[in-house]
Amino acid sequence: MEVVIASSPVDAGIGCWDLHSGAEQLRYRSCTSTPHGLACVGQRFLVSSQLRDSSSSSGTILYWSWNKPQVEVKSFPAEPIHPLISNSDGTYIIGGGSSGAIYFWEVASGRLLKRWHAHYRAATCLFLSDDESLLVSGAEDGCIRVWSLFMVFDDIGMEMAKHPYEYSFSEHTLRVTDVVSGYGGCNAIIVSASEDRTCKVWSLSRGKLLRSIDFPSIIDAVALDPGEHVFYAGARDGKIYIAALNAESTPSNIYGKHIIGSLSDNSKGVTCLAFSMDGILLVSGSEDGTIRVWDAKTRNIVRIFRLAKGPINNVLVVRRPLYSNFQTSANSHASLSRRHVPLLPPPLSKYVNSTDEIVDSGAITVPQTPSSDIMDAPYLSSHVLTKQISELQQQSSAATGMEVDRLKLDCKRSLEMVQKWKEMFADLHKFCVDELLGNDQTQTQ
Amino acid sequence: MAVFEHFQNLYDIRLKPRLLRSLIRDRVPDEKHPFSKPSELSIVVSAVKNHGLLSESSREAVDPKHMENWKSSIDAWIERLLLLVSSKMPDKCWAGICLLGLTCQECSSDRFLASYSVWFQKLLAQIQPPSDSHFVKVASCASLADLFTRLSGFSNIKKDVTSHAGKLIQPVLKLLTDDSSGAVWEGAVDLLCSIINFFPSSVHRHYESVEAAIVSKIMSGKCDSNISKFVHCLALLPRSKGDEDSWSLMLQKILISINVDLNDAFQGLEEAETKSNEVIKHLVPPGKEPPPPLGGNKMQGETSNQATEMSEQLILHRISMLMLCCCRMLTNPYPAQVIVPVRPLLVLVGRVLMVDGSLSQSLLPFLTVMQREFICSELPLLHLCGLDLLTGIIKRVRSQLLPHAADVVRLLTEYFRRCALPALRVKVYSILRILLISMGVGMAQYLAQEVVSNALVDLDSIAHGCGEASSTPCSKAASEGLLLPSYRKRKHGTITGFSEEQQGGVGTEMEAVKGKPITPIAVQTAALQALEALLTVGGALRSECWRQNVDLLLITVATNASNGGWANEEKDIFLLSDEPTSTRTDFQLAALRALLASLLSPARVRPPYLSQGLELFRRGKQETGTKVAEFCAHALLALEVLMHPRALPLVNFPSGDHPDFGQGFNCKFPKNIFSSGLKNNSPFPRGILGKDEIEPESNDDELYSSWLGNDEETEASASIPDKHLESRQELSEKDGRLSTEDHQAEKHPSDLPAGAQFPKEGDRGATDAAHMETGGIKDSIMAQSERVQEIIPNNDVRLQDKDVMVPTGDLTANVVEPNKGKIESSGSDSSKATPALSSEINNKVLMAAADANALPSDQGSLLTTSIVIEKGKKLVLEYNSDASKDSFPDIVDGEPDSD
Repeated sequence: MEVVIASSPVDAGIGCWDLHSGAEQLRYRSCTSTPHGLACVGQRFLVSSQLRDSSSSSGTILYWSWNKPQVEVKSFPAEPIHPLISNSDGTYIIGGGSSGAIYFWEVASGRLLKRWHAHYRAATCLFLSDDESLLVSGAEDGCIRVWSLFMVFDDIGMEMAKHPYEYSFSEHTLRVTDVVSGYGGCNAIIVSASEDRTCKVWSLSRGKLLRSIDFPSIIDAVALDPGEHVFYAGARDGKIYIAALNAESTPSNIYGKHIIGSLSDNSKGVTCLAFSMDGILLVSGSEDGTIRVWDAKTRNIVRIFRLAKGPINNVLVVRRPLYSNFQTSANSHASLSRRHVPLLPPPLSKYVNSTDEIVDSGAITVPQTPSSDIMDAPYLSSHVLTKQISELQQQSSAATGMEVDRLKLDCKRSLEMVQKWKEMFADLHKFCVDELLGNDQTQTQ
Repeated sequence: MAVFEHFQNLYDIRLKPRLLRSLIRDRVPDEKHPFSKPSELSIVVSAVKNHGLLSESSREAVDPKHMENWKSSIDAWIERLLLLVSSKMPDKCWAGICLLGLTCQECSSDRFLASYSVWFQKLLAQIQPPSDSHFVKVASCASLADLFTRLSGFSNIKKDVTSHAGKLIQPVLKLLTDDSSGAVWEGAVDLLCSIINFFPSSVHRHYESVEAAIVSKIMSGKCDSNISKFVHCLALLPRSKGDEDSWSLMLQKILISINVDLNDAFQGLEEAETKSNEVIKHLVPPGKEPPPPLGGNKMQGETSNQATEMSEQLILHRISMLMLCCCRMLTNPYPAQVIVPVRPLLVLVGRVLMVDGSLSQSLLPFLTVMQREFICSELPLLHLCGLDLLTGIIKRVRSQLLPHAADVVRLLTEYFRRCALPALRVKVYSILRILLISMGVGMAQYLAQEVVSNALVDLDSIAHGCGEASSTPCSKAASEGLLLPSYRKRKHGTITGFSEEQQGGVGTEMEAVKGKPITPIAVQTAALQALEALLTVGGALRSECWRQNVDLLLITVATNASNGGWANEEKDIFLLSDEPTSTRTDFQLAALRALLASLLSPARVRPPYLSQGLELFRRGKQETGTKVAEFCAHALLALEVLMHPRALPLVNFPSGDHPDFGQGFNCKFPKNIFSSGLKNNSPFPRGILGKDEIEPESNDDELYSSWLGNDEETEASASIPDKHLESRQELSEKDGRLSTEDHQAEKHPSDLPAGAQFPKEGDRGATDAAHMETGGIKDSIMAQSERVQEIIPNNDVRLQDKDVMVPTGDLTANVVEPNKGKIESSGSDSSKATPALSSEINNKVLMAAADANALPSDQGSLLTTSIVIEKGKKLVLEYNSDASKDSFPDIVDGEPDSD
């Protein structure tokens, strides 16, 4: 089931709708998410970083499982976390702190594997490249940095390198509002939006600015067309601009160079964008508390969901496991191990724990169902049979053993026969003798 | 009664009981007669399997009477089998057991469910003491395993079956401990594996005893041939409990056991104490009790006693088996969430791989030469197991390898530097490949240098084979340039070292040159695969330093690999023994795959060996029915996108109107497409680098319009200045020559003004968008007209060029038609579009002049063939401009005269 989930900075919970039927699902309570602070971890549960009053120094990250509206796990990292993402396996959660540090947690154990100083100002957005080995982070000071996660974990390599990041782009002059990256591994592009009213397109392989596009308004959200023909930029003036990547653009556009059109509903500012799996439905969240689903082909609205009165700042489209599936699989596990497997992992820890370096817990792997499928289970007996027949024909020791057994039995049986015949003979003999003697006796008598 | 029954054909259900009865009568032994020919049984088996004699099912509805008949024949079959199984004669009993196993597999579900417990009891009796024939025991184990395999498909009777299976464990264990035959052990272990696989909970109660039995077999090293089955069984065992703890405990026990053995084996070769402690430290947290030894406490006494007299061979054998077991545990799926102790596993692998037989400096050498010699002889096997274990770790932890990735890479690269044996190198390459593919760009950056330098060394010999062949793209000097100085120095140290003076015409033949070993084909294949993975993942990011060398290497290798002709796969199959070896086909395939990756991997300029590559693939594709051909077809498809970059908009337009540009442009404009700059190779074909281009209004069909744009650009900026603007004089002269040479045209002078007009128009075209538009349309006509000819030859109205159409009109269409077939067939392949159009225009021109008089068709075709390919385009342009001037008559006058 493909669902739209959306959250808001005011406490309206996390809304969840079936994208195709439009039916509202469970609403997950008490969430005041930060921008880019909502993620779905490996299709298993939802996680969101929370806006909190500035008095407390620590941040808050909450977990919800799919089938319960209440918050299930609360974690309190050392500082407020703004953007939050997870990799597609759901093994890691990466968060950007208000100090500019990036936190890297292992989901299954909750350990903070790494914390590194990434920016001088608070991180505003994070994005993983399509092979999930590069991390792109944007910050309030307009800086965008590309990190190789291997490098981050390689202390020795880090010391040798001139700088810990792969690239650092500082062409944006104001806060970076969104960063996305496309397909193509090392040849992918990065599209970033900033409060300086531009969107910039970067080449990952060259580490260069390819194109800078000026927009009539500040862009808060960017979504890449899956074919990377264009990208969609959600602006504060309520329009979603369509900007050219591979597409032709004419100088005579009304909005400016490279902007080839817009989706517009005369609403308030667009804060977040997400594409559905089919790459045709574009979901946008707006400041007026509604979520619009656009058909990117026809540029029409196909559906509107309403979450709250206040603004929306996160929209995701995720594939969610079906309810029944989810529960039966959990049940089967429980029955298999006779032990309840906790559905949600422990909370995220606050600090990098240096002492458990030694007892390093290692990787936690998700359960796999062994393939007890009858189709790939080979039957043995005919194989064994052919092997044994060939052994018999070659008169191997085991085969001769059986032959000997057989002969022994034969022999035994023959001996029995002989015995029987002997007995019979004896009987007959006796009988005859008796008969003769008897006759004699009778005769003599 | 059924004796004389008819059956229609092979598929008739009435045939089956007849066949079965005759099998029972003739082939299956019975009590009375001696059983002389066991090979008869295989005939029975194949007959039953092929005809589905026991299936009791039919595709179509059948007469219940026939079904009844079939059923009764199967009843008879089973009755006979059961009789045989209880026979006293071991050979008949054996036959009965085997056929019963077959019946378990083949009979219908209803029958199986009804009688499986009877069969189970019969078979169970055969593995218990009174019977003593090995043959019977092995066969019963196999048949029982099949019984359970079949039962696993029925979930509704799971409980019942589990209790049955539970009864089996004790007898099977007894077989393992008491019996002395390897074959019986194997059968017993197979049965045990099936039970653990399908009915794990039945083993639960006997967990410890099963573990002890299997471990003692592995430790004793008595069963060499089938020990991997024991290892597999041990790895499966935790599944019978199915919880996290038993898996972790088992792994922990095995690791500790390996560690202890390593201490014994590597005495004097490493600082055993520190290494061993490191593993233990990671495995058993301080303050915790170490787990009981593998196989239970009983084992401990035994092993410690044995340890003194145990041979080195046994120890090393055990280590490799236990490592294999770890590997199996990691790779087999497990139903519960488990924690994989990555760190200790990696430390252990590192410990094994770092021992190379050299003596540790800090220790006094107290190894005898003999001992060292032996260890060195066994080390490669151990290393192989270590590398397998590493593969297992990587496969299991997937993305969670990230925190350890740097360690793994360092371990591997260090090992790779020293590793010189072919089998080991192949394995290292395969691990590198897995790492690259699974970890993406970040990993590619780490590994690029290592992969490239090693692959260069390993592929050195084949790359040099082309030294003297001038047709190949690399000269000798170039291939020498492949080796960076630092590698050249090092390669003498490896067995692949193959110094330059000694390479002669090695070519593709894998032969030793002057007694020097050259890299085995398997290593070369593995190196190519690793390069392919590297190019696939990280061809663009920071690859400048190696990319050029690798591209050159790959085209060279692929060319050389194909020089000796494509390998015959059938021949390979005959040459192959049981074990999979790397063959020439594999090598060629790997070379082609790597070449494709090199061509497709993103680069800033056009791949330098594109045309050679295309040629190779085209040739390879002709090897009908081989893997090479299959792959080449795929490669050509993939490369097509490189030729015709697509930027597809979301809107889908009706496919019927979509102009098919297919081949025509491929050959006609290759230079123009690529010479127009980076933009075709960069992800942004146009204008993203800030360049502003004057474009026609984008319509829905953007692919199409981009084509128009491209052509118009090439026309305006490339061909016109190149060819036409050079000098009017030259142009007109050329034209004149062309027409005089080809057609003996008299209208030469009158052609001149038209030619003179043309450049002017071209000049304007460069600046005037409107004129470019017309140029574009004309080009589209070129493409369309070709299409029109193919699809709707009659419909000339499609051509939208007013200037051409107006004078010709519909009147000519009918007359033109007969000519077209000929024209097209006579047109040269390499420039279909141009001659086709020009001929058409010519035809129309002719028509216009001749006032729709019927023209001999051979004239038209003669004209087309006479047009030189390169000049064809010019002619088109020329005629087009002529057309706009309405100045045909002169030309046309010339044509009939030329005959």
